[in-house]
Amino acid sequence: MPFMDKKFILTRQGLTSLKSEYDELTKVKRSQIIKRIQIAREFGDLSENSEYDAAKEEQSLLETRITQLEDVLKRAQIIEPVKKADFVVIGSTVVVEMNDEVHKFSIVGSMEADPTESKISNESPVGKALLGLQVGETIEVSVGPVKSKIKLLEIQ
Amino acid sequence: MSDLPVVVFPVKNLDLTKSEQKVVEKLVEAAKSIASIYQKQENQKFPGANFYPHDAAVEEILAAAKSEPEILSPYTIVERNRSGKLVSIPYHIKFKKDLGKTSALLRVAAKITENKEFSRRLYLQADALIDGSYEISDMYWITMKPYKIDIVIGPLDRLDDRLLFRKTSFEAWVGIIDEEKTKKAKIIQQSIYDVRRKIFTLSEKADFLDKTKLRVDKTLIFSGLFARGMFTSNSLPVDPNLMEKYGIEITFFDTSLDIKFESQHYPIYKSIFESKFQKDYPRDLLREGSFRNVLLHEIGHSLLRYKDSERRLKELFPVIDELSATIYGIKSCGSLVLKGIMSEKELEAIMIMFICRAFTWWIDSQKQKSVEPFAVGHAIALNHFLANGAIKETGGISWPNFNKMFLSIEELSDALEALISMGNYSDAQHVIDKYGSFMVYSKFENRLKGIT
Repeated sequence: MPFMDKKFILTRQGLTSLKSEYDELTKVKRSQIIKRIQIAREFGDLSENSEYDAAKEEQSLLETRITQLEDVLKRAQIIEPVKKADFVVIGSTVVVEMNDEVHKFSIVGSMEADPTESKISNESPVGKALLGLQVGETIEVSVGPVKSKIKLLEIQ
Repeated sequence: MSDLPVVVFPVKNLDLTKSEQKVVEKLVEAAKSIASIYQKQENQKFPGANFYPHDAAVEEILAAAKSEPEILSPYTIVERNRSGKLVSIPYHIKFKKDLGKTSALLRVAAKITENKEFSRRLYLQADALIDGSYEISDMYWITMKPYKIDIVIGPLDRLDDRLLFRKTSFEAWVGIIDEEKTKKAKIIQQSIYDVRRKIFTLSEKADFLDKTKLRVDKTLIFSGLFARGMFTSNSLPVDPNLMEKYGIEITFFDTSLDIKFESQHYPIYKSIFESKFQKDYPRDLLREGSFRNVLLHEIGHSLLRYKDSERRLKELFPVIDELSATIYGIKSCGSLVLKGIMSEKELEAIMIMFICRAFTWWIDSQKQKSVEPFAVGHAIALNHFLANGAIKETGGISWPNFNKMFLSIEELSDALEALISMGNYSDAQHVIDKYGSFMVYSKFENRLKGIT
């Protein structure tokens, strides 16, 4: 699929959260950072003005994120919450065995992936490999030097 | 060594209030003040440093400890009395005068700080230094809410006691938390902790993961053993039973790592890898790889604590312990790559930096004996890589084979965890004899000239 046609898969909750972040960045943060830059400019000599440099860098990061969010929101594809399925779909929470270890995580769209909440992207090697799998099935995944057999133990 | 063991790091943009600046000034002064105590403990000519009489053999010390157990306490100096009998003297009595000054500085900082918990922490530490109540203070520190300013000061690491691995050396650090880097480090920590893994001997395992705290600090000063070793991270406490009861605090010293990376890791990388190979690995990626080695090492430590391992492995414990922690940490990255949390290139950078850090430990161990266990441990890994064809050594390490290296890491990780969880002294000695040779380092000696 050409990159420009790519859809961003999101839950309704994820979409709401990204919309709130977009509103916060465009309606609050953007004007705050412009004000910081103006104040920093008044300190004089921009070549040695660390506050000005820091504020400009922050502005650049902010604008990049805003552009990214605009792109995602334009091409968002909402998925409905899954009822327990016989096979793995985006939104499933799974328990798998990988190299003698037991892992539990949810498979979500790439924009909602968050390792601290055990949410793994559907575009990650494991995410891709598990989609469509049924309990008891085993699949091999390999990325460079890392190789693993993954056995699907449970879909929750 | 006669030079004062103090390293002050030039750190800018700390974002401290005036009151916090005053607190930090006093803490830095307190840290400096313990350097002279450490000088009285250190002595690289003897495996027992100045913790024991230089003519006392292990057998004599252990026999004397049967009637006076305090001889083996981490917080006593062993001396001979007039009749030649071994006796123990607590640190807080032996170094009473010096510790009084340090304690007073901590009390001044405790009065200034506006954070009540931190103030209490400083008062408890001031008390501990003059009455020996280290555990009360340490446990308060580990269980208190993380605060932007941090100090650790007192007798902590046992690396200088190469005779029995019992006695603690005085050391200190002062740091200011780096929130952004701490947040990033916690993502990797949490992703590894989330996995339910196979445990070799369940009853032996010290379990305290839900009580583990982690912070990345901009370090302002190292004093005592820390200044000698220029460490890049630390996990406290060291006793698995205390860890299980109160949890563990892991600290990363980002400023120290910066210096290590610039002066050692990166120059070693430039010296031992082929120039064509180097094109694929930008400096920033390697700097992150270097930090992740340290991060994974400490995460590994927190997962591989077995209650009885020190008693079984005796003075060989630190060799196996330090290596197994890093190796387990790197092995854990496999699932992070598969889950898309880490890229393949980032994993390769971690493995490259593991090799560079091994050479760093070897170079450092020639100046500082207390870090020798790290050098021996890493030699075990490098020799294992060589034996498996994961690295080549003709004219410099050229084009490491990452597939073989990761396989080697997985094999080593399982073997080392089995050793640390249920192995005995002769098992550890066998592994060290088979793979611990420093020849692997000296083959590259000519290429490393000028790196200190």
